[in-house]
Amino acid sequence: MHIPDGFLDAKTAAATGVLAAGGVGVALRHVRRQLPRRKVPLLGLAAAFVFAVQMLNFPVAGGTSGHLIGGVLTAVLLGPSAAVVVLAAVLIVQCLLFADGGVTALGANIFNMGLVGGVAGYAIYRLVSGWSKSLRQKVVAAVFAAWCSTVLASIVCAGELALSGTVSWSVAFSAMASVHMLIGIGEGLITALVVVAIARARPDLLESLAEADARPGYAPVLVFGLLISLGLALFVAPFACSWPDGLEKVAATLGFEHRAAATPIVASPIPDYALPGIQSAALATALAGVIGTVVVFGVAFVLARVLVPKELH
Amino acid sequence: MSTAIEVRDLCYRYPDGKEALRGINFTVATGECIGLIGPNGAGKSTILLHLNGILPEQPTRTPAVFICGQPVTEQNLPAIRRDVGLLFQDADDQLFCPTVMEDVAFGPRQFDGVGAPVDGRVNAALQQVGLIGFEKRSPYHLSVGEKRRVCLAGILACAPRMLVLDEPTSGLDPRGKAELKTLLQKLPATKIIATHDLELVVELCPRALLVDHGEIIADAATLELLNDEALMLAHGLERPHILRHRHPH
Amino acid sequence: MIRHDFFDRHSRLDSWIHRLNAGWKLSIALAIVLATVLMPGRFALCFVGIATLLVVVAVASKIPAGFLVKRLLLLEPLVLGVAVLALLQPNGGCVFLVIVTKSTLCLLTMVLLSNTTPFSELLGVLQRVRFPAMLITTLALMYRYLFVLVDEAGRMQRARASRTFTKRRFAVWKSLGTVIGQLFVRSTERAERIYAAMCSRGWK
Repeated sequence: MHIPDGFLDAKTAAATGVLAAGGVGVALRHVRRQLPRRKVPLLGLAAAFVFAVQMLNFPVAGGTSGHLIGGVLTAVLLGPSAAVVVLAAVLIVQCLLFADGGVTALGANIFNMGLVGGVAGYAIYRLVSGWSKSLRQKVVAAVFAAWCSTVLASIVCAGELALSGTVSWSVAFSAMASVHMLIGIGEGLITALVVVAIARARPDLLESLAEADARPGYAPVLVFGLLISLGLALFVAPFACSWPDGLEKVAATLGFEHRAAATPIVASPIPDYALPGIQSAALATALAGVIGTVVVFGVAFVLARVLVPKELH
Repeated sequence: MSTAIEVRDLCYRYPDGKEALRGINFTVATGECIGLIGPNGAGKSTILLHLNGILPEQPTRTPAVFICGQPVTEQNLPAIRRDVGLLFQDADDQLFCPTVMEDVAFGPRQFDGVGAPVDGRVNAALQQVGLIGFEKRSPYHLSVGEKRRVCLAGILACAPRMLVLDEPTSGLDPRGKAELKTLLQKLPATKIIATHDLELVVELCPRALLVDHGEIIADAATLELLNDEALMLAHGLERPHILRHRHPH
Repeated sequence: MIRHDFFDRHSRLDSWIHRLNAGWKLSIALAIVLATVLMPGRFALCFVGIATLLVVVAVASKIPAGFLVKRLLLLEPLVLGVAVLALLQPNGGCVFLVIVTKSTLCLLTMVLLSNTTPFSELLGVLQRVRFPAMLITTLALMYRYLFVLVDEAGRMQRARASRTFTKRRFAVWKSLGTVIGQLFVRSTERAERIYAAMCSRGWK
């Protein structure tokens, strides 16, 4: 999901840059305060770990392969603030040394994969697992959070591309969200397998590492939440808001003629009317996403039962 | 002869409660070179980590280790760490900077301040270990022997009064071992060497301590200790070949 | 299974480009990227100008042309994959061309930067412009231990593979999960040892 240079226009690059800088700044401050000195080298090693893991391909259906992003995994293992620092470091190195991800897109990539993929994913993880000590519950939460955050990050990415005028929203959304719904499954599966493996080898690691970040003070939670919400408002909401219009149109075509076609709340930069089939594809993708969320939760539940035998529970 | 290291009744438990060291007592005079031998898990590395205050993780009320008369306490740590140069077992853990130059300069920079001129010290240290010209090399591409020598240079650049070495010849090929041996022989500082390489002990250390199960079993002249076959076998060691084929004449 | 390439293999060659101050190189590279990205699509001549500049730099840097071409070919599919989506809109063909041109020029710029400037020097520049210290330490340690971890992962993967006698896909995934898990545990243990080594040399 690394956006290269040239795909984002100046305003989008600037906006994401500001959001990313804010997020990393807050994360660094929190880490400096909360992380014990002896864990500082762990940030660097964890970054190398995430990078190394991202280099591993895992087989997906039909001969293609996917790559792990590792946002939720990192956040579960290190806490959300440390995860932001780690993921930012990974993206910076990938950008400067690999040219994987553009320099002007660094802000967007950090926002998408670090803040949305990592922090929002962690929030979902916490929401689902509570502060339960049960490994099974943690696995369910991890799988679900990993899938959701992957899909969510891809949606924000699509929004950024659309806002820049590079790709039309419907095309971007359909393509990115649908592909990442599949990739997200792999992400969830690997996250679960790794969490279980670590729980087997060093259960103390799962407890202690995230503990420092488990109940963060008000400030980081507030700021992260604010930044992510801003991002969603800027990059997703304008497009999602035009859906009621789309639904209206579909309803009108199907015969509910008493409903008048409303104008979109915020006009999309690239009108879709030139490509009639695309908008319904986007709607179909959205629907698939909603259904997918429920399905993945169920899958997560089953997976946790399979992976965590009675003894470890 | 003054005392460089004094250890009085050192005890230590791992975080999980297991006893690691029970009542370790020994002294090392300035300029001495002693070997620390024993089977795996005996506690050799644990003892070494106490000599510069890495252990215990939480400082105790009664210090058990004294370096040049100074107790190893939280306040004294900066001075202690300057005086005691510790070479870790895995060179990859100790060589953590992107280039050789930066790594050797790390110690002096910490002790003297970031802006301090350290180039002279770095060059001198690299000269001592025979690695002039390696300044810009990346640690990833060095051989085990070269890495170990860079680590040693990093320590020497801090001008320590004593060297504490944990398995300095492990992983080295015969040439690497010979080079390191020659290097260590030339260094006048007080030395403690924990090692499985008993030939190294014979050649460098007139005195040796045998450690097992967290206790000092024997503290004697090296030849006397290593020739005691029964004692060696009882503690998982073997009389080294170099002694087996020595004839009195 | 693991792509293992020394991404800055040529960063220590000797050419007048390499000898330039790292701060200058980074600034110029960023300036080129920014100019390329902000340039409106219709100024085709400017793109040609930038391309010429980059080719001149590439030649002067003595980096093997084959290496540069290979790196670009490796990175192009990622660009094309997303750029293709741009075609599906009015005036799509033009947008597509502009994006691909801009992206490729920026890719080349960054590949040239990373292969004419050792990473530790880039970090030095970031340090001088007061980048957060913790982030710089993280970047430095990450760079240092990157391939150490990749090698470790490779060794563990091979060891596992030699003990796995089934080709069932789930077994492959499970073994991958265990390898990654072990890699993380080892990384935390190594981080502790590095901390001890840093403290031993006076780190506060």
